[in-house]
Amino acid sequence: MTAALTIDGIGVAFAGFKAVDGVSLVIEEGELRVLLGANGAGKTTLMDLVSGRTRATEGHVFLYDREITNRDEHQIARAGLGRKFQIPSVFKELSVRANLEVASCRNPHVFANLRFGFSRAQRRRVDEVLALIDLGDTADQPAANLSHGQTQWLELGMLIVQDPKVLLLDEPTAGMTQAETHKTAEIIKSLRGQHSIIVVEHDMAFVREIAERITVLHLGRVLAEGDLASIETNEDVRRAYLGAAAGHG
Amino acid sequence: MTIQRRLDYLCYAIFIVAILLVPLLLGDFWINRMSKFLVYGMLGVAVSLCWGYAGILNLGQGLFFGAGAYMLAMSLKLLSNTSMQQGSDTPVPDFMLWNAQPGAPTELCCINHGSWLWLPFQSQWFGILMGILLPVTLALILGLIVFRKRIAGVFVSIITLALVLLVRLVLIDAQPLTNGFNGLTDLGTLTILGYQFDAYGLGTYYLIAVSLALVLIGARMLVETRAGLILQAIRDDQNRVRYLGFDVPVYQLFFFTVSAGIAGYAGMLYVVAAEFASPTFMDLAYSITMVVWAAVGGRASLLGACIGAILINIVAATVSETQSFMEAWKAVIGLVFVLVVLYLPRGLAGLASDIGERIEARAAARAATGSQAAAMVAASRRAP
Repeated sequence: MTAALTIDGIGVAFAGFKAVDGVSLVIEEGELRVLLGANGAGKTTLMDLVSGRTRATEGHVFLYDREITNRDEHQIARAGLGRKFQIPSVFKELSVRANLEVASCRNPHVFANLRFGFSRAQRRRVDEVLALIDLGDTADQPAANLSHGQTQWLELGMLIVQDPKVLLLDEPTAGMTQAETHKTAEIIKSLRGQHSIIVVEHDMAFVREIAERITVLHLGRVLAEGDLASIETNEDVRRAYLGAAAGHG
Repeated sequence: MTIQRRLDYLCYAIFIVAILLVPLLLGDFWINRMSKFLVYGMLGVAVSLCWGYAGILNLGQGLFFGAGAYMLAMSLKLLSNTSMQQGSDTPVPDFMLWNAQPGAPTELCCINHGSWLWLPFQSQWFGILMGILLPVTLALILGLIVFRKRIAGVFVSIITLALVLLVRLVLIDAQPLTNGFNGLTDLGTLTILGYQFDAYGLGTYYLIAVSLALVLIGARMLVETRAGLILQAIRDDQNRVRYLGFDVPVYQLFFFTVSAGIAGYAGMLYVVAAEFASPTFMDLAYSITMVVWAAVGGRASLLGACIGAILINIVAATVSETQSFMEAWKAVIGLVFVLVVLYLPRGLAGLASDIGERIEARAAARAATGSQAAAMVAASRRAP
């Protein structure tokens, strides 16, 4: 097995507070990894560090054998890392199809894009993804007209069209109904194998549906790592996170 | 192609034909006026490209307009008779002589500190080249700093606003070089291939009308490219575009610079039609007026912003001929702006596109009922 994403002792301090403190993770090619942790555990900060939004003060990140530590966001994205945000972000005034078309541009340079239209292969890919995320009927409508769940799927669709090697998904089911959550799980499962995926989630029902391996973060450090059963029986995890969640539900 | 888009292209065609035919109906005075208004229309295109498509509200578009205007005006000033009759072999602007130190040589090279900067402008083509190059360079430098630093939204507006005021101050302060408040007047005539562009002539009108048509078509083509689509995506959500792998500042810089180039070109054309360049081009009110034109016409539509600029100026020119309206006009335009922002956020172009959409919907509905009726007829035939 080759490692798709290697995070080696990464960390960052905000005004002396270590939000992420020497986290190491290896995501194998084609793996789907779930990142669990209570609020403030450092999940989103870890994603920020990997995707270039936040500069790391220690450690390294490798995408396959290429170091991407502290590169600019667009360079990291071009290296093959896609990211979905917690708050869905799409291009509201553009049509759903145009949203996907933007993601399908293979050459990022401005002068290379001074031409009209998209290749047949790109258009076919966009149509396929429209079908996958079930937005074919609304393809010509502005993205602003979509419901919350549809907006989340559109952003997922953009990532699929972008075709990155590694996908970071930050709470892809936030604010979704149960049916929508289930459908999102289906979409993510359909990506399994073709992409290496990290999913941050709170929703345990969703985690049970998709999880293979789980990493639990607590206070900026890796607390435990393993399959669903071993995590659920792990005493440390129970104390730090699952105990509280079990109390809720 | 959708009906909507076809209507859109039809509007462009009608507009271009209209501005080419308009002189047939007008006398010299109004031809000159319309020439200036078409220049304003070109500024509308520049504002729309920058604000509507790139989401960058530049409150200092006058800086690029003024830069273009002054560059050509400097060349035309040296071509003027008043510059040639100063008892020197080389032309010297009259205002430099009026303000010269006693005993200073009456040569362009050294009549005052810095007058040598005027030397290359003895070639009209240098002035024309600089009329594009200077605004584009200014935009590149400004954009490089602003966009690399990820300054966005209202802060870009504040910076551009401050910058145009700063440059205006410097321009006025450099009185020996620029004639300060008075600006550059008494200009010579632009002559290309032996043809003299008289400000009141048809030649100037068509120079401007054809330029506007080309700028409109060019800008429209630009926003229809993939790069134009990515630019609009940046306007909607910069971060998303960044994480799709695009170098966002490069796109913003490119379109910001193109917009500045158009504004600079408009500045040059304005000098040809108005025969002067003055610091008022860099007044804050002037730059803001440009934004109002685009807002009323519809900032998200290049043609809308262009027509907005022309219409407002036609109305203003007509109304201000009545003495009592002249004072009230500024209040009226202010009110119109407020009303448009409140009730027509997409401007006149938005209104037109809503009407177009309704026509399309009605046509679709008619087609649907038509086919339904046909199906019923077919069914009734089969029934017995």
